[in-house]
Amino acid sequence: MHWLSKTRYKIGFLLPTLVVYTVFIIMPILIAIGYSFTKYSGIGKARFNGVDNYVRLFKDKIFWKSLTNTAIIFVVASVLLLVLSFFLALLLNNTLRFVDVSKSLVFSPAIIAPIIVGIIWVYILDPKIGVINGILRAIGASGLAQQWIGGPTLSPYSIAFIYFWQQLGYLTTIFIAGLKMIPEEVMEAVKVDGANAWQRTWHVTIPMMRSTISTVVILIITGIFKIFEIVQQTTGGGPNHLSETLVTYSYSMTFQSSDYGYGMSIATVTFLISLAITGLYFLFSRERS
Amino acid sequence: MRCCYDLSNGWRIDCLRGGGESSATKDDSGATVIKFGINVANPAKQEPTTNAIVEAFNKANEGKYKVEFEAADTESHNKNMKMQASDGTLPQVFWLENSQASEFQDADVLLDLTDFLNQNADVKTALAGGDAAFLTDKGQYGLPYQSNVQGIFYNKKLFDAAGVAYPTDDTTFDEFLDMIAKLKASGVTPLAIGSKNSSFAMWEFNLWLNRYGWNDTISKILAGDEKFENADLTKAFDKVQQLAKSGALPENMSTIEYFDAKQQFDDGTAAMFGTGQWDCAEFDKNIGEDIGFWWGPKFEDSDYSQETAMKVPSAPIAVSATVADNAEVKEATYAFLKFYYGKQAAEISYENAMFPATTYEGLAPASDKHAMNAMVEALDDGYTSPSAAPDQMVPSAVQQALYDGLFGVMQGTYTPQEALAKMDEAQANQ
Repeated sequence: MHWLSKTRYKIGFLLPTLVVYTVFIIMPILIAIGYSFTKYSGIGKARFNGVDNYVRLFKDKIFWKSLTNTAIIFVVASVLLLVLSFFLALLLNNTLRFVDVSKSLVFSPAIIAPIIVGIIWVYILDPKIGVINGILRAIGASGLAQQWIGGPTLSPYSIAFIYFWQQLGYLTTIFIAGLKMIPEEVMEAVKVDGANAWQRTWHVTIPMMRSTISTVVILIITGIFKIFEIVQQTTGGGPNHLSETLVTYSYSMTFQSSDYGYGMSIATVTFLISLAITGLYFLFSRERS
Repeated sequence: MRCCYDLSNGWRIDCLRGGGESSATKDDSGATVIKFGINVANPAKQEPTTNAIVEAFNKANEGKYKVEFEAADTESHNKNMKMQASDGTLPQVFWLENSQASEFQDADVLLDLTDFLNQNADVKTALAGGDAAFLTDKGQYGLPYQSNVQGIFYNKKLFDAAGVAYPTDDTTFDEFLDMIAKLKASGVTPLAIGSKNSSFAMWEFNLWLNRYGWNDTISKILAGDEKFENADLTKAFDKVQQLAKSGALPENMSTIEYFDAKQQFDDGTAAMFGTGQWDCAEFDKNIGEDIGFWWGPKFEDSDYSQETAMKVPSAPIAVSATVADNAEVKEATYAFLKFYYGKQAAEISYENAMFPATTYEGLAPASDKHAMNAMVEALDDGYTSPSAAPDQMVPSAVQQALYDGLFGVMQGTYTPQEALAKMDEAQANQ
C-alpha cells in the first residue's frame, strides 16, 4: 500500500473534499462576511457601508440581550449536558435490568424534530395553557406558577432546559460508545489495585475518554449556537425580542426586517464567538494533555 | 443569467434576469402556463376566494391558458420572491409585501402595468382609484390583490352575557375601557391577540394610528422632516398601553400566534378580535349571526378626524418584468389579470365573503354572510379611508419596528416613547 502515500495521490484523494468544503462551507461564510459590510435589502444592489453595521450592532440593546440569552443557554445547557450525559452513560454502561429499554427512552427525544420539540414544550411551559402551571394551580400552589416562556426573564433558561432534554440521549450514546472503547483489562487492573468507583472514574475513565469528551464538547458548543427552531416555536424570540438568541435575531433582522447586511454582521459575530470558544477549548485541552 | 461586479455603483452578487425571448411553459393540453406566487401554503383552504377565481379562469380558458399556484406561507413567500427576483425566476404574477415594493422596483424586476391598464379601461374604472396606491414615479408596480376592510369583530352573545352594549361609531376610548372591564368581569378575554411569530396581526391598531394623524404626517416623517416620536403618535401608543393595562389582552399573548388568538374568538372564550375580511368565512362558520363589526374607538384627545374607516387596498399583486420577454406569457398574464379584475371574479369574491379590489354595480354579499354584512353595515356610515393601511406605508425595517413597538408597549417591554424612538431609529438606518 506504499503507493497511496505518494503526495500526488494524497492530493487526488483530498481534492474533491476540499472543493466541496470550499464551495459549501468556506464560500458562504466569506460571502456572509462580505455582506456584513454592506447595506442590502436582499434584492438589487448591495451598497458597501464599511463598518457601519458593526458600529450599530454594538449600540443595539437587542443584540446584547441576544448575546446574554445565548450565553445563559450556553452555560446552563453545557453544564447540564456534559455532566449528566456522562454520568448517565456511566450508569447505562452497566449490566442492569431494563438497560436497553432505558437507553431507548433516553435517546428518543433526539429523534424528534426540533420544531416538534418546541410544540411539545409549549404545551408544558405556556403560562396559561401549560401543564406545569396547570398542576401548580390544581394543587393550590398558583403562587409558584411562572411565565416559563413568553416572560421577560425565564425564557432562556427554559430554552436551555428544552435543548438539554432533546440532546441528553444523543450525547449519552456517544459517551457510552466511548466507554465501550476502554479496555476491560485496564479497569480490572485498577480494581485489583483497590481503586474505588470515584477514583476509577476520575483517574482512569475521564483521562481515557479525553477524545470522546472533546467531541461532545464541540457538539455542544456548535449545537447551542445553532438553536433556532426551539426558540421560534416556544417564544418566536418574544416578547419583543427579549428571548432572541444570536441566531434568531440574525434571522429576524435578515428576513423580517429585510436588513440583510445587518443580519449578516450578527451572523459573523456569532460565527467568530463560536470559533473563539472552540479554539479556547482546544487550546485549554491541549495544554492539559 | 449573469453575475456582475458593478464598480461604479457598488458591488452586487445578484444575478440578473436573462435577456432575449424565453420559451413559454405549456401543459399537456398546450395551454400556456403561468405561475401565481401566493403567500399562503394552502390556497384552497387559506385563500379560497383566490383559489376559486383561478379555478374559474382555468376552466374558462382550458387548453389556452393555465394558472398554477406557487404557494408558501408569508415569511417563506417573501424570502422566496427575493431569491427568485435575484436569479430571474420570479413567478409571472405574485403577491408582494408592499413594504418591500420599493426594493423590487429599484431592482427593476417588476413590470410596469400602466400598459395593461391602458389596454383595459374597464378594469381601471372598476378599480375606482385603488390602483393609485401602487403607482410611483417609476410606474404602476402592482394592482390591489383585494380590498382590505380592517377593524374589530365582536361576539354579540358574549356582550349580551356580560350586559355590555354593542360598540357604535360614537363609542369613545374611555367607554371602550369600561366595556373591557365588564367583559373581563364576565370571565372572557376581552380582546384576543397573539404576538408569537405574528406581530403583523395588529390590524385593529391601523385605525388608531390613522385617527392620530398617521396619514397626514407619514410622508413628512419618511422625508425626514418629522419624527415618529411626536405628540400625536405618542398619544396613540399611550392608548395602546392603557388598553394593555386594562387587562384586555390574553395573559399568554407572547406565546400564542394570530391563529391561536383567532381560535379563542372562534370558540367563544374571547369577546373581540381585530382582523380583516379574510376571516369572515371562518366567523360565519363559528359565530354565525352573533357576529358584529366595529371600526374601533373614537379618541377625544386627538386633533384629527375620527370619522375615518379602514377600507384600503391590500398588498399588491405584481407582475415579473420577465413577462415582457415572451409574447405568449404576456398574453396569458394579461388575460388572467383582466379576468381577476373582472365582474365574474368580483362575484366569486362576494360568494366567498371577500371584498374584491374592484367595484361593480349590483354586487353584495348574500344574507347568510353575516360577518361580511356586518362590515358592509359599518361601511355604510360613509367614513373616509386612507390610501393605504399605515403599516403598508413604510419600508420593511420601519414596518417591523412598528410591529415591535406596538407589541412591546402591549407587553410592557417598551414605553410609548421608546417604541416610537425605535421606529425613528429604523427609519434613520434606511
